[in-house]
Amino acid sequence: MRRVLTPGAYAPGATVVHRLDPRAKLVCLLASSVAAFAAPAPWGLAVVALGLLATLVASRTSPATVLRGLRPAALILALSVVSNAVVLVGQPGVSVEGLARSAAVVCRIALVVGFALAFSSTTPPPAMADGLAALMAPLRRVGVPVGAIAMSASIALRFIPLTVEEVDRIRCAQRARGARLDEGGMLRRVRSWGQVLVPLFVGLFRRADELASAMCDRCYTGEQTVLLGPLARRDWAALVACAAWAVAAVAL
Amino acid sequence: MIEVRDACFSFDGEKNVLDRVSLCLRAGECVVLRGSNGSGKSTLARLLNGSLVPTSGAVLVDGQGEGLAQLVGYVRQDPRNQIVSAIVSDEVAFGPRNLGLPREEVLKRVGEALEACGISALRDRMTSELSGGEQQLVALAGVLAMRPRYLVLDEATAMLDRQTRGRVARIAEAAAASGVGVLEISHRPVLVADRVLTMGSGRFSEADEPPAQSAPPVRPRATSMTSTLRGEHLTVAYGEKPVLRDLSLNLRGLTLLTGASGAGKTTLARVLAGVLAPDAGEVTLDGRPVRAGDVGLAFQRPEDQLFCDTVLDDIAYGPFAQGLPEKEALASAREAARSLGLAEELLDRSPFELSGGQMRRVALAGVIAAMPGAYVFDEPTAGLDERGIRDLLELVARLVGEGASVVVITHDPEEWEPLSPAVVCLEDGELREGSVHA
Repeated sequence: MRRVLTPGAYAPGATVVHRLDPRAKLVCLLASSVAAFAAPAPWGLAVVALGLLATLVASRTSPATVLRGLRPAALILALSVVSNAVVLVGQPGVSVEGLARSAAVVCRIALVVGFALAFSSTTPPPAMADGLAALMAPLRRVGVPVGAIAMSASIALRFIPLTVEEVDRIRCAQRARGARLDEGGMLRRVRSWGQVLVPLFVGLFRRADELASAMCDRCYTGEQTVLLGPLARRDWAALVACAAWAVAAVAL
Repeated sequence: MIEVRDACFSFDGEKNVLDRVSLCLRAGECVVLRGSNGSGKSTLARLLNGSLVPTSGAVLVDGQGEGLAQLVGYVRQDPRNQIVSAIVSDEVAFGPRNLGLPREEVLKRVGEALEACGISALRDRMTSELSGGEQQLVALAGVLAMRPRYLVLDEATAMLDRQTRGRVARIAEAAAASGVGVLEISHRPVLVADRVLTMGSGRFSEADEPPAQSAPPVRPRATSMTSTLRGEHLTVAYGEKPVLRDLSLNLRGLTLLTGASGAGKTTLARVLAGVLAPDAGEVTLDGRPVRAGDVGLAFQRPEDQLFCDTVLDDIAYGPFAQGLPEKEALASAREAARSLGLAEELLDRSPFELSGGQMRRVALAGVIAAMPGAYVFDEPTAGLDERGIRDLLELVARLVGEGASVVVITHDPEEWEPLSPAVVCLEDGELREGSVHA
């Protein structure tokens, strides 16, 4: 089947960023998100942007991926820039100050999306779940089912490609039996998607059931052995560098 | 020892799928369980690992009645329904981690299981990128890493090519030699068995399956009326990876398409049926370009092909898509169901509740109901019992006799010998030289 490339999907590789421990990467992601929102424009933001550039280079993520990741939100972002720039009350016109302010906000969002994509495309879903569980471990003491939450996150991540696969399968099955899904006017195409949706939901529930029974067969109870070992020296180095950079960006 | 004593099981509380079955499987023993489609083999297997509980009777594993999943490893037909993780090493670690073993022990077992299955090189790969055969080996490694005392292989080799079947057999035999009791459920067992059991409608039957009494199907002959399915200069690539390379072929009458896993057979099937547009080249049926629906396509996994709520709706989908009025569409669906030997009472059930073999028949019925001019069947005999295979051969002989061209993708060309088909072998996206008529 032809693969659909979703921005941010895990791409196997052996770069420095791939090899970092998922816990270290999660903390770095948190720090850089905070920095992206707290850094003052324009110089603070420029430092953050340099950090993103370094991350993208180190993880061999193409900037085009970040742009593709922003595409779903492009319309809303563009609207917010325009609505901040156009002044209708008082003396109608274009406010340069508003334009600068909203452009900075859009930049911040783009930076966060960039960091998130760099993280998700270098970290396999099970490692993300393990990292999340490790960071939430202290909450276990107050009775939070950390293992179950991490597993839910991992399964939710797993169902994204599964949903794409299932849509593909149903459309393929319907076309093989003579359904003309890609022909006709707009209305017919929309209706043909309706034909896909019902079996899609039934199919996904079935897949979920099968996954559950496969997990039971392998003795899943909710708690698992933690597989992450102690942090390596490069993980500590990355954490220190990231902290210094984030503080510098915010303090500028 | 696994002991099943007078176990009954029923899904609906009325009809017993298993009827007072007793079985015993000793440590280190290899037992093969055969039986027709829908006779209750998989249900029995699921009683053994505790995922189903008998309505009456008892299942005891080494004297225990609880926590059977840890003692009895279960490998299913379709690895896709079994793999829970996106990364191979994490998948194999899943079971040991659930057992609460310490980290070092989990890592050691993952290494051992990958080694035992000969897939250490796949350790860091993504499970979704692997071929079906590799995925099945990963599933097997995931079960072995839990060090079960018994191993149930439920049609685990039905969808594998010959080489991978042999690998699974060697792994299971090595496990048996180290004291693991192995139960293989299969129509074409790969293990050398200590005992063979046969099931028929919910109980063990003394005799083997009823011998094939009927005469072999008549060899069909292509006539001047027979349709011609022609592919010219077909090229398909997935990303960077070429799958079909400038492939041309001319298919008339019955043709078998063979080749190892990953040779591009399924891709070729989709291209021939007009479901996948080739990057270059063209497929024609009797000179006209093929559109989706002109050539009937039966998928490798029947569950991939089914999507309606009831069996009858699913079979009637093709006729409806052709624009037939309801009455005629349903009539041709019923006719197709009859020709595949599907009982009337199955027609109102959900196709996903059926056994693997019955699902296969529903999928095939859905393809022939629309009466296309040519057919492509992808591994149609996987999971079918002997009778099912005989019926299928007769059906294909009839279709060819009626003037349709049929392409059958298979790992078992000898099953089709009675129909003396032409054989084409695909290797790395090209037809192998010297593809001869059998």
